[in-house]
Amino acid sequence: MIQLIFFLAIGVLLFASLFFLARRNPRSEGSSSALIEARQALVALQAGLLPVELVKRIFAKEDWEYVRAEAPATVRDMFKQERKKVALLWVEQVRTQIHSLRRFHRGAARSYAKLNPKTEMELALSFAGLLMACRALQTAIYVAGPYAAPQMVASMANAASRACKVSEECLAFLNAAQLGVLNGPSAGQATL
Amino acid sequence: MNTATRRMDVEHAVEDLRHRTLSEIPRSLDRLIYLASMRDYNTGFYYHDGLASRFTQDVACEALADCHREAFNQLVSCSLRELVAQMEEYINSTHTSPRSFVTAWRKLEPYRVAVPVETDPVVAHFLFSSFKIALAVLEARLRSAQVEPVA
Repeated sequence: MIQLIFFLAIGVLLFASLFFLARRNPRSEGSSSALIEARQALVALQAGLLPVELVKRIFAKEDWEYVRAEAPATVRDMFKQERKKVALLWVEQVRTQIHSLRRFHRGAARSYAKLNPKTEMELALSFAGLLMACRALQTAIYVAGPYAAPQMVASMANAASRACKVSEECLAFLNAAQLGVLNGPSAGQATL
Repeated sequence: MNTATRRMDVEHAVEDLRHRTLSEIPRSLDRLIYLASMRDYNTGFYYHDGLASRFTQDVACEALADCHREAFNQLVSCSLRELVAQMEEYINSTHTSPRSFVTAWRKLEPYRVAVPVETDPVVAHFLFSSFKIALAVLEARLRSAQVEPVA
């Protein structure tokens, strides 16, 4: 009788652990959504937010000099407000995407990419540094406008590009075809 | 059709479009508006009968989308001075009164529907913001021209 209770208890424990394993967070290690999110963050950073031409244009002082020379005070004020909004949005988006990449590297990357501890440590440090730089830049832009810290903008964009490159190497095994499989049948359709 | 062959067809269609049509449209603003007008708002697909007859509908659609993205990127990389100049020339080419044009564009913001799909929201926001500023510069110019005494 005692043996029966003992084996029943083990059975219940096994069942419970299976139940909790099945209910685990879908973003846990190895989930395809974490990979897709990381890939999307990389694409958003490399193709959308970090190209040098775009960064130069958003923070181009020549636009301000043009408006200062050609337009009345109301337009000058509007220009400063508009560029400040765009600059803050840019920093916020960079920060969000860096967060996504960091989340991936903290969790799922280990199960897919063969990262050595040194690279992992370097990435962790650069993500932490980038997130702090984003906060500092947001504060500088908020207080003093989009032209407050051009050096900071340039160095942050460069550091983010470098981190993306390392991250991209970790994700290199995930080519477009595999992403298509992970995304489901609709991912293979032609884009416009 | 495999991917490489299809890509080559698209490249040929892009060249054809550049050579026959886009070479006649010198400014990137005009090209952006023209190419956006080739897109069906309900489906997001681009249509060009001439190009589709020389290639296929799918290839024509992809070539138009490529050229649309290219025109968009060219406009984004323009300085504010260049954007204002392009808008002035565009207004002249439409033969409408500059005042009516500026008022209509400020109210309707037609440039918002001219961006290619899958454009990064920050990049799109930057261009919209530049259009807004350019319109304000043009409006200020029109106002100052109106108050200047006639010689």
